[in-house]
Amino acid sequence: MPDMPKSPDPKRFEVSRATLWFDRFMGWLIRFGGIAVIVAVFGIFYFVGKEVIPLFRSAQVEAAGEVASGSAPAVLGVDEWGEMPFFYDGADKLVFVDMQSGERREETIAGLTDLKVTAHSYDAVHHRVALGLDDGRVGSFLVAYERKFDDGRDPRVEPSVTPEPWFTLKHGTGPVTAVSYGDSGAGRAIVAKRGNGDDSTVSVLRLGMKRGLIGKGKLSLLEEADITGELGSEAMMVRASQNGAMVLVASASGGIHYFLADSGGVSKRQTFAPFGSMAPKQMDFLFGGVSLVLTDREGQQEQWSLFRPSEDGERLFGKTKEFPPLAKGPVTFAASQRNRSFLTGSGRELSIRHSTSGAVRWEGAVDIDPAAATLDAKGEHFVIAAADGAARRYAIHDPHPEAGWRAFFGKVWYEGGAGPVYQWQSTGGSDDFEPKYSMVPLIFGSLKGTLYALMFSIPVALLAAVFSAAFLPLSVKRIVKPVMEIMSSLPSVVLGFLAGLWLAPILVTRVPSVMVMVVIVPLAAILLGYAWCRLPIGFRNRFAGGSEWLIVLPFLALAGWAGWSLGPVLESWFFIYKDPASGREIADFRLWWPQATGIPFEQRNSLVLGFMMGFAVIPVIFTIAEDALSNVPKSLTAAAAALGANRWQVVWTVMLPVAASGIFSALMIGFGRAVGETMIMVMATGNTPITEWNLFSGMRTLSANIAVELPEAPVGSTHYRALFLGAVVLFAMTFVMNTIAELLRQRLRERNKLV
Amino acid sequence: MPATLPESRPDFIRVENFSFHYGEKQAIFDIDMAIPEHRVTALIGPSGCGKSTLLRNMNRMNDLIEGVRHEGDIRLNGISLYDPSVEVISLRKRVGMVFQKYNPFAKSIYENVVFSLRVAGRSRKSELDETVERSLKAAALWDEVKDRLHDSAFGLSGGQQQRLCIARAIANQPEILLMDEPCAALDPLATLKIEELITKLSDDYTIVIVTHNMEQATRCSDRTAFLYMGRLIEYGDTLQVFNKPSHPETEAYITGRFS
Ligand SMILES: Nc1ncnc2c1ncn2[C@@H]1O[C@H](COP(=O)(O)OP(=O)(O)O)[C@@H](O)[C@H]1O
Ligand SMILES: [Mg+2]
Repeated sequence: MPDMPKSPDPKRFEVSRATLWFDRFMGWLIRFGGIAVIVAVFGIFYFVGKEVIPLFRSAQVEAAGEVASGSAPAVLGVDEWGEMPFFYDGADKLVFVDMQSGERREETIAGLTDLKVTAHSYDAVHHRVALGLDDGRVGSFLVAYERKFDDGRDPRVEPSVTPEPWFTLKHGTGPVTAVSYGDSGAGRAIVAKRGNGDDSTVSVLRLGMKRGLIGKGKLSLLEEADITGELGSEAMMVRASQNGAMVLVASASGGIHYFLADSGGVSKRQTFAPFGSMAPKQMDFLFGGVSLVLTDREGQQEQWSLFRPSEDGERLFGKTKEFPPLAKGPVTFAASQRNRSFLTGSGRELSIRHSTSGAVRWEGAVDIDPAAATLDAKGEHFVIAAADGAARRYAIHDPHPEAGWRAFFGKVWYEGGAGPVYQWQSTGGSDDFEPKYSMVPLIFGSLKGTLYALMFSIPVALLAAVFSAAFLPLSVKRIVKPVMEIMSSLPSVVLGFLAGLWLAPILVTRVPSVMVMVVIVPLAAILLGYAWCRLPIGFRNRFAGGSEWLIVLPFLALAGWAGWSLGPVLESWFFIYKDPASGREIADFRLWWPQATGIPFEQRNSLVLGFMMGFAVIPVIFTIAEDALSNVPKSLTAAAAALGANRWQVVWTVMLPVAASGIFSALMIGFGRAVGETMIMVMATGNTPITEWNLFSGMRTLSANIAVELPEAPVGSTHYRALFLGAVVLFAMTFVMNTIAELLRQRLRERNKLV
Repeated sequence: MPATLPESRPDFIRVENFSFHYGEKQAIFDIDMAIPEHRVTALIGPSGCGKSTLLRNMNRMNDLIEGVRHEGDIRLNGISLYDPSVEVISLRKRVGMVFQKYNPFAKSIYENVVFSLRVAGRSRKSELDETVERSLKAAALWDEVKDRLHDSAFGLSGGQQQRLCIARAIANQPEILLMDEPCAALDPLATLKIEELITKLSDDYTIVIVTHNMEQATRCSDRTAFLYMGRLIEYGDTLQVFNKPSHPETEAYITGRFS
């Protein structure tokens, strides 16, 4: 089209190539960033989920080999690795079978050949087979396993048998009909029944090591106590605890008699009858030697544990748990040597149960009738054997037996406790310590810490925000706001340090002062306001424009100082502690509080925490709430002022409704800060996981718990995963709170929406 | 103009040698004028000449701004607004104000109207009901909203919202009504309605109105003041100011040579 008028400069409609490139580049960069954030968030969820979900899995059990020993399993035992069970036939023959190869190795126990064994029992921890003979002698032999690593081949388990000395019972006549052996290393006890029927007797032998000049010393009898007279009826079952300190005898009339066997001799402590007049069918100690599992003929299974029913009473047995009943039939029982689980069942139906949580970890059927069962020391296998010597091995995979919903969120009756409790105590001094992983005290701690922090921060922050937004002259506000913002960026470790090491020691002696100040300062402010209104308008007008704070500040400071100094006076009037020993009276709140209320007074308490958390939370709430209030359109506040509303009415009727959703957000962010706050909580609260609202005690929060314990929790352990569960709980708490808050906020905003 | 004007005190509001500073910036230079009772007085002048500033000083709304300063005085019925014994709150009850952009509260129509009574602590139902009806009728809004008094004020049209603001301003029956470009944000039809309303209200109120609109000033004001760069250039009866301006700036402005 040659005749078309030329457009002046066609290029001006074109977009430069660089602009296009840049636009495209930025588009991709932003997309990448967004996706990366989403991936990161899901990555965190995945990681946390991976740590937490195994806690809620039940145990996995699978068949792991079968062998035939050809020997009746009067006693069945197995080595630590579950590789070579032994079968003791109840006479002089011992058969070891290799689970891998099925290879049998038969041994005759030297010295037993000419004897007649009439009673036996097995202590799986020491691999000790206790024996009783027809001539009234009791003794034992030990089976030891050694792992041999020779010339690069797979490790081989090498068993050996060691006989131990015999002791002759002085009391009673006839053959030994029941025996049980306990050994603590330093002292031992054997409990044995002799004879049958009404003539039978029960004796307790206490043994000790007589130190020789050289060598191990010689085992010798310290005492033989005849306890027959204390039983009332024939003994049906005798059990020495694994450390030999306790002896339990179940009698035909249903009573179970508990004896203590220590250096003071053998003394009866208690008789209890778990199943009325019925003798139990099974009675065994659990790992730790504090709890008994008992089953009656009907299959009802219970746990009885030693605990102190009263504060300063003696430890006695009491029923602490009931397990799901077993079917009728022959009862199988084997206790774990690692934790409070046990294998039990009736006939071919077996289950693995955990005593602490009362949970059934696994349930299943086996294909032989178990005549004996045992667990290896690692808790990784169990072996059952039928009467004909056929044996099955099963592998157990149960890394977190003590976990589960009940353990984390329910009340659990731990061994030694006087009742079911919520408790967090992850580590303890001894091997048989039972970790307690209840989330409840931690959730409680988080809520308590948050509550006390917010109780102090919210009123202060909101009033300050209103004051700054509606009353303070701009020139002052321009200083106050940035200062508050800087405050919110104070590292919380500094605040925690100040709280724990500076504020706590001061406050601890000045609680009455704080109490007076809490009353006197707001009261003074109200009085001042009242008096101010009575002053002539001519005087008041001199402080127009919000400069009243010049008067308010010194007045409040004065009131604060008065409160601080009046505290000790108040203390000397009301908080008098009577020393029970000397009868002297001391004016000291710290001593008075526990005496008057029965709850403790700690230096690092919720009061200190509330104050210090204030420094972390107040600036956050203040800044956001102040912004919300300041952003209320001037046209509205001016309209209200022009209609004769005073400053407070402008705030109340116009600013607050409009800013409500913003203030609500401020509160939620403050809440989030308080719930998640860690360092102040760690350093200022004492970290005791208790569940009481006491203002003068501390707490342990979920976040502090993670900070304190994660470094010492072995990766992958129940403890480690429980800490992650704490994080999930914390997340869930804030998530739920924030969701509710957001819904409320939306509604607030809808109601006060501006066009 | 109605033939018989109501009784009028000629210097109901007296602005006496009044100067006003926003910090360093002086916005009003030595203005001296008397505003008569029960009349409509229009303040005209180009943008930024100080009309709003002067108006806002009449109920001391400028007190809310940081760093302001004044010289001279404004007297309301003989009493200085800046007398130390004057309580600003009660002053504002006597001097109502309507703003350029209608600004009802996020409340119902009813609650908007009775706001000034509520903040004064008056909450007798019969009194409130009466006030709502009277004010809305006076603001020529009653017929349009009487069936939805408890609906949100935001449901009204712009013109209706501005009339609601006028009803709100007169609910407490102030003596003076200040209006700062009340029609600036409205369409011509709504403007017309407000203008009619202003004429009607002048029977009961002393009205000072800032306007950018020459026709509006001629249509509904009795007296007109022309401000220029913070100074009062010309002040007199509206007809005279528009027909025979005595200052060249006035003439230039009203003939539209500058705005
Ligand atoms: N809040 C304020 N702070 C500082 N200067 C202001 C303020 N309000 C108005 N001014 C200045 O005062 C002068 C007069 O303003 P104003 O009275 O609003 O004029 P108008 O006649 O357009 O209503 C203008 O120069 C304006 O910039
Ligand atoms: Mg203006």
